[in-house]
Amino acid sequence: MNETLTPLTAEGLSIVPAVHDTKLRLTMSGAVEMRDPGEMLNPFWARIDEEARKRNVQSVEVDLRDLNFMNSSGILTLVRWITKLKASAAYRLVLRYDRNVTWQRSSIPTLAKLAPNVVVPLEING
Amino acid sequence: MSDYVEMRFGPRWTYISCVRKFVASFFMIGLADKERAEQISMAASELLENAVKYASEEEGYLKISIEKQQNEVDVCVKNKAESQHINTLRREFALIHAGQPESVYLKKMEEAAMTEGQSRLGLIRILFEAGARLRLDVNDGEVSIHAIFPLETA
Repeated sequence: MNETLTPLTAEGLSIVPAVHDTKLRLTMSGAVEMRDPGEMLNPFWARIDEEARKRNVQSVEVDLRDLNFMNSSGILTLVRWITKLKASAAYRLVLRYDRNVTWQRSSIPTLAKLAPNVVVPLEING
Repeated sequence: MSDYVEMRFGPRWTYISCVRKFVASFFMIGLADKERAEQISMAASELLENAVKYASEEEGYLKISIEKQQNEVDVCVKNKAESQHINTLRREFALIHAGQPESVYLKKMEEAAMTEGQSRLGLIRILFEAGARLRLDVNDGEVSIHAIFPLETA
């Protein structure tokens, strides 16, 4: 059964979560370029992490392909999530990105190197 | 001889996104190189974010020059800053140039995750992800940070 969790929509950013059997999927669109994205993203990622653990999903997939930019403060929110997951691995974090978007092609594989056992960069052409 | 784009504006956060998109479009046309254009616009955006956060006076300045002789693009953001921020920047420059860019970037990410507050990942991101050379000039309380990109030779 597929279920929908509460999406996040604010300041030019949209994140739509959905549960598909053993996978939790988040589709991001717009841009992360607010002054302090941690204010809304840190608690949001924490809720997703909590939900994923509670539901015992195998993976959380973040689809970044329609996210046209993320500033370094936004990158830090993902770093915090990955650091928490690395310390207590409960699922795989799959970061699906578009190789044709420059920031995604350079940032996402680097993020994955923080925790190669739990973070999977999934490159898509388009 | 160089072509350039120059902007002066009150350092308001909401302008940064507009500038980033404009710079990307401008250099997409000027350089016919999408990747380089997006790297230049990312650098401009990160440097402007720092300027808005740390500038001591109400003006931001951005100049992007295409240096034809050197075959480079120079993204320069200039602002007035307090001495404590200038010292922080000097330490930051020393730190990010003290090792392999990728190792430094990963280490800074790990450190940033353990502390509250600003990410301070912008400069190393420009250095590592965009492959730019960084230069810091300080003159009478005015800070200029340059991100310099080599251009492909025709």
